[in-house]
Amino acid sequence: MSEFNIDGRRISARKGEYILAAARREGIEIPALCHHEAVEPFGACRLCVVEVSKPSWDGWFKVVTACLFPVEDGLIVRTNSERIRKLRKEVLELLLARSPRAEAVAELAREYGVFEPRHDADWEGDNCILCGICTRICQTHVTGAISTVDRGVAKRVDTPFSESSADCIGCLACARACPTDAIPFTEEGSERSIWNKDFSLEPCTECGAGTLSREHAEWLTEKTNLPTEDLYICDRCKVLRTAASYAKIAW
Amino acid sequence: MAEKPLFHVFPSKCTACKNCEFACSFSHGSATGPTLTRIATMHDPDGREGKNRVVLCMQCDTAACVAGCPSNALWRNPETGAIYHVEDRCIRCRSCVAACPFGNMRWEAKVNFPVKCDLCNGDPVCAKFCPTRAIEYR
Repeated sequence: MSEFNIDGRRISARKGEYILAAARREGIEIPALCHHEAVEPFGACRLCVVEVSKPSWDGWFKVVTACLFPVEDGLIVRTNSERIRKLRKEVLELLLARSPRAEAVAELAREYGVFEPRHDADWEGDNCILCGICTRICQTHVTGAISTVDRGVAKRVDTPFSESSADCIGCLACARACPTDAIPFTEEGSERSIWNKDFSLEPCTECGAGTLSREHAEWLTEKTNLPTEDLYICDRCKVLRTAASYAKIAW
Repeated sequence: MAEKPLFHVFPSKCTACKNCEFACSFSHGSATGPTLTRIATMHDPDGREGKNRVVLCMQCDTAACVAGCPSNALWRNPETGAIYHVEDRCIRCRSCVAACPFGNMRWEAKVNFPVKCDLCNGDPVCAKFCPTRAIEYR
């Protein structure tokens, strides 16, 4: 265990735990857009910047990202100083300039006193802030169908060569996890379309409602050894089926 | 180690009044209606007395939901034996809902989240709110 000081509070944390995780556990709010508990920290959005110092530094503070800085004994952390608020405001101005239509960005920006993007208000921009939550989730937990492609101003999230990917199983985890709703997908009835790929959700064998895509079911079967046809029953019908099997028991 | 308490369900006592569903939903954050309920009760479709059904999560030892979860968002609490759904770790891919063979992982479309019985930290409200004691937890 390490004991450290954050905004004047003494907190103990596991050795090597990151500042952001320890702070959030203690209810200290540090803003972040690229943080997701399901994946490793990434340090993309730069909003969780904090000042750190050690007793031997003679009062000097340096700026680090809280999501990637491990705590250690005697560390002093300031999460909301004048310098930090100014830095976060600057980051938010840049993010808002890129993504003026992203509600999550605009909301945080207002909190830090940024109300208007700096340029032409008509510019739509790009809702994607390149936080990498979608690509990290897909790569660590699902099939790795998407990644960031190109570099610099052309950097974006996409499938290889922007083609419909053989790996995508249409689970929508990327779109649902996106903090700025930047991943477009359509879902009409049992037709689903994402990343230039069309999926038709297999109908529930009992009621016909869409369940999950064939690709998703096959992936899940491989992972769990559950029979594929059992996956094509919706949760409601499964409850009814369970209830029906209970009724056969002589109570 | 002392034996963990179990759900005892008596269908003969159940009137399918849905008190448990409302109590469960309410204690899990829904102010109105049984939207977020983790327990399902229903009348016997043939109208037979004493044949109402109660379906609730069995917290399986080898659980399909846990096996299906790619991001380890489902964890067993060793104290209560309940499998918890850790919302922060969930990537909302809906695999657990498809995997559970009993329908006890329910997908709540309003919030785009799976909902699952967590035994209310060892003190389930459904049992407390059952007026006929058709559900007991002991």
